[in-house]
Formats: sequence, C-alpha cells, structure tokens
Amino acid sequence: MTATLSRSVPLARAPRRRRPRSRAAVWAAVAVIGFFGLAPIYWLVVTAFTPDERAFTFPPSLVPAEITFDHFTKLAENEQLFGYLVNSVVVSVVTALLSVVVSAYMAYAFSKFRYRGRKSLMHLVLASQLFPQALLLVTLYAVFSATGLLGSYAALILSFTTFTLPLCVWMLKGIFDTVPSTLMEAAAIDGASRWRTLHRIALPLAAPGLVAAGLFAFVRAWNDFIFALTLTDPDRQTLPPGLVHTYLGEFQTAWPDLMAASFVVSLPVIAAFMFLQRYLVGGLTAGAVKG
Amino acid sequence: MNRRLTDGQFAWLLMVPGLALFGAIIAYPLVSALVTGFFEQSLVRPGRAFVGLANFADLLGGDFWPVLRNTLVFTLGATIAPFVIGYALALALNTGLPGWLRGVFLFPWVIPGVVVSFLWLWIFNANYGVLNGLLGTHVSWLGTPATAMVAVIVTKTWASFPWMMVMLLAGLQTMPKELHEAASVDGAGAIRRFRSVTVPHMRAIAGIAFLLEFIWNFQHFDTIYVLTGGGPAGATKTFAVAVYDTAFKGFDLGHATALGGLWMLLLLVLMAFYLRKENA
Repeated sequence: MTATLSRSVPLARAPRRRRPRSRAAVWAAVAVIGFFGLAPIYWLVVTAFTPDERAFTFPPSLVPAEITFDHFTKLAENEQLFGYLVNSVVVSVVTALLSVVVSAYMAYAFSKFRYRGRKSLMHLVLASQLFPQALLLVTLYAVFSATGLLGSYAALILSFTTFTLPLCVWMLKGIFDTVPSTLMEAAAIDGASRWRTLHRIALPLAAPGLVAAGLFAFVRAWNDFIFALTLTDPDRQTLPPGLVHTYLGEFQTAWPDLMAASFVVSLPVIAAFMFLQRYLVGGLTAGAVKG
Repeated sequence: MNRRLTDGQFAWLLMVPGLALFGAIIAYPLVSALVTGFFEQSLVRPGRAFVGLANFADLLGGDFWPVLRNTLVFTLGATIAPFVIGYALALALNTGLPGWLRGVFLFPWVIPGVVVSFLWLWIFNANYGVLNGLLGTHVSWLGTPATAMVAVIVTKTWASFPWMMVMLLAGLQTMPKELHEAASVDGAGAIRRFRSVTVPHMRAIAGIAFLLEFIWNFQHFDTIYVLTGGGPAGATKTFAVAVYDTAFKGFDLGHATALGGLWMLLLLVLMAFYLRKENA
C-alpha cells in the first residue's frame, strides 16, 4: 500500500502531469484505509439498531434486515446508567472549568513574563504528560486514601485537571503569544494593574482559545478509564468504567445494548471535536491529547 | 496592589495553582512510587519494611522480561502500523481530495477509548463476531495467545492512525509546492521526489509524531485492559497492565512500584529524545 502511494502521490501533486492511473491509485488507497477506518463504525451503529435475536446469529447479516430502538429505550430506563451519566457530566464539566482557569494563568505567566526557571518549567510541564499514569495511580491511591478524598468526585477532578494542563497550557500560551504586547503596555500606561490587564484585555482576546481548552479538558475527563475505574466508589463512577461493570463480565454480553450505550457516550465527544477541528492541528503539534 | 510585586513574582503567583496540582498529582506520587520500590508494602495493610533491591532482583529474575517483550512488541506494532497508514492517507489527502474526507477519518480517533475497546471486542467475538462472519471461521482471536497481541495492535492502530494522519498532513501542507515542481522540471521521477523532497521536509514532524505515539503506546492501558486484561496466559501483559494488576489485584505495592521504576527508567530515555526533538 505504501509503495503504491509513494509512487503515485508525488505524481498527482504536480497538476499538469497528473495521470488517471495515479489518481486511481490515490482513490484506491483512500478506499482501503476508509474501509478499515469506517467499517467498524458502521458495525457499531448497525448493531445498536439490531434486535437481539438477529444480532446473535452466525454468520451476522451485514445489512440490517430489521431496525429497532429497543436498546436505546432500555438505556433511557436504566437508573444505574443514568447515575454514571450524571457522574460523568459533573466530573467533566468541573474539570473543564478548573482546567481553563488554572491553565490560563499558567500560560499567561509563560507567555508574557521572563523570569528565572521559566524555560525549565515549560519543559517540565510538557514532559509531565509522558509520565506513566498507571504508576502514578498506584501511589495517588494512597495519597487520596490518606486525605479522605478516595472515592469522591474531587479525586477524579483534581487528577484530570492536572493531566489536561500540559496540552491546555501550551495551547493557551500559543494564543497569548499572539496578543500584541503594545496592547498591554497601553493598558499599563492608562494605569491598569497587571491583574486588571490580564482579566480585562488578555483573557477576552483569548476567549476562543479558552473555549477550546475547556472542551479538550472535558473530553479528557469524559474519556478517562483507568483513574475513574480505580479512584471512585461504585456510586461515583463515570460512564467508561460504569459501562464495563454493567455489560462485561456477564455470562453473555448484551452486545446490541452495549453498542447503543457506546453510541450515546460518543455523541458529546464527537460534537466537541466538530467544534474543535480548527484548533486540532496547532494543539496537537504543541503536545498531546490522548494518553 | 500588584505594583509592589516584580514581574517575576507576579508570574510565579499566577503559576501557584498549576504548580500545586503538578506537585500533588504528579511529582509527589512519582517520587513516592520510586521510593516504595525499595520496600515490602501492601495496598491493604498498613506498615512497610525496607528490603533494599530485593523487589528489583525478583523482577529481573523473572517477570520483567516477558513484560518487556510484550510491551516492545505492542509498542512497535501499534506505532509503526498507524504511522504507515497515517502517512499513506496524509499523502493521498494532500493531493487535493475534498476536505470533508479528513473529518470523516477522524472518527475512530475521536470516540472514547472504552468504546473503541467494546466495539473491537464485539468484532473479534468468537461466536457472533463480524470478523469470523466475514472469514467463515470461529477463531477466538482474543483468547488465543498467538492472535491476541495482533488483535490488540489492530485495535490500537485503528484508534491512532487518524492522529498520525492529522500530524503528517499538517507537515505536508507546509511543504512549498515549488520544491516539487523544480524537482520535476529537473527530471526527478515520483519516487525520487518522494525520497529527496518529501521525506527530508517531513523528517522533523514525522519524528515527533512517531516518538510521541511510541511513548504513549509504551504506557498504554485502556485498550489492552478491556480487550484481554493482559491475557491469555500473560500474552498481552504490558508494563501498564502488569503494574496495575500487581498493585490493585495482587495488592503488592513493593513489586508494582519496583516494576514501575524500571519502566520509568526506559521511558526517561525516550523522553530525553522527545525533549531534544521538541527543542530542535
């Protein structure tokens, strides 16, 4: 596949020399990767709408012969799942808000001031996302246990906020870097304090970036599995570990129900990313979203 | 009120909340974990005893090696495959294909990690799975040591290739078209232009993307844990899963953190590379 592409693509890049053969090769590559990338998603959606008696047949029929909404109505009536949903929303929303505040201040300090230790701190923040979280978790468990936070929302919120900081700080630093220093000097001449300049001038100018950072933090908290699995009481668990406990480990997994739940859990994240698309590349190259 | 502070002091003040979180959630647990590796300590019973290098000796005399091997196999597979697929896709999308295609390809990467795992558990299902349906077989993909690792790598590849595509496409889009045109005028063929123009231009961003993905996979947990739990017979047990199981299923904090310390040592080497690249 790569060999075909490397031969055909540069050809296709020069418009005057583009030949039908290379065009076909590009489309063939897109089709093969497209099948690998999208067929599983098709299968998720199809299974979510397939009646149980049809889902548990072999071989499975690739095109739905019959559509049902039963799995979704069953989800809506499940009180335990609703509890997980509430936990997920609370944890993710608070993480997003806290993360925006903390990372905006930190990013502003990195962007607009020069002081000893700045460079090393910036590297430390960037590197911290690379520390193994499974290892941190082992001793964090003891920390939260000793402080009585184990099992609470706070344990998750504090952890997630910290893990979103590298990306959010770097993203917002990039945005503050584009705020002209002359604006801030003008404010200082007009007698505004540094505190006021930050809140009245820099933050409003960075508003779109703040929204993007908040959404990233929301998604990070929404998707987390290992911390939510370990640091929470069953009644404080978020959706990812909640779904594992609800559906897996039974003798026969209710696959259509689980696919319907997966579909619903994915929706807010997909919505967030549609909004975030334009921030994606800059944010990604500065650091990382997924761990 | 701030006028009395210097700029530097004001900046430090702004960083207090962030630094406090880093200290409490990352720095302290990390140091504490590295220290605990030298003790015999249980998750559920209080107290601990200093045992020197005994935990490390135990691990290096056995468990460490299969876990290292599994981690390397998983990490290499789940980094190289998305890199190749992502690169191919980025090259294809950069030929002027419609922009919405890029958005469509992001789906596998965007959906939550556990959903990815649920979906592939269902696809790989031995009795009713669609993969067996297509092949007309009844293979227990995740229950057989020989295929479980491949299945886990395929799943992680599916979730990561869009990210690679985004990173590499960003690199390709900064490449001046004139370079290719000039090389073309000079009579360079397509392969020659890819090797002599595209590859050198992409070296920096491709290196960072590859290394970051490598580091993430080196400590990846979610997909493996949900798909196989490290099994069958430890065939997919990587560092993340082994440390987690030792601590939270075996309640053996000493061995868990000692293994984590060895893991961390390997990661530090990778991180040093990454920071050097990021600075360059």
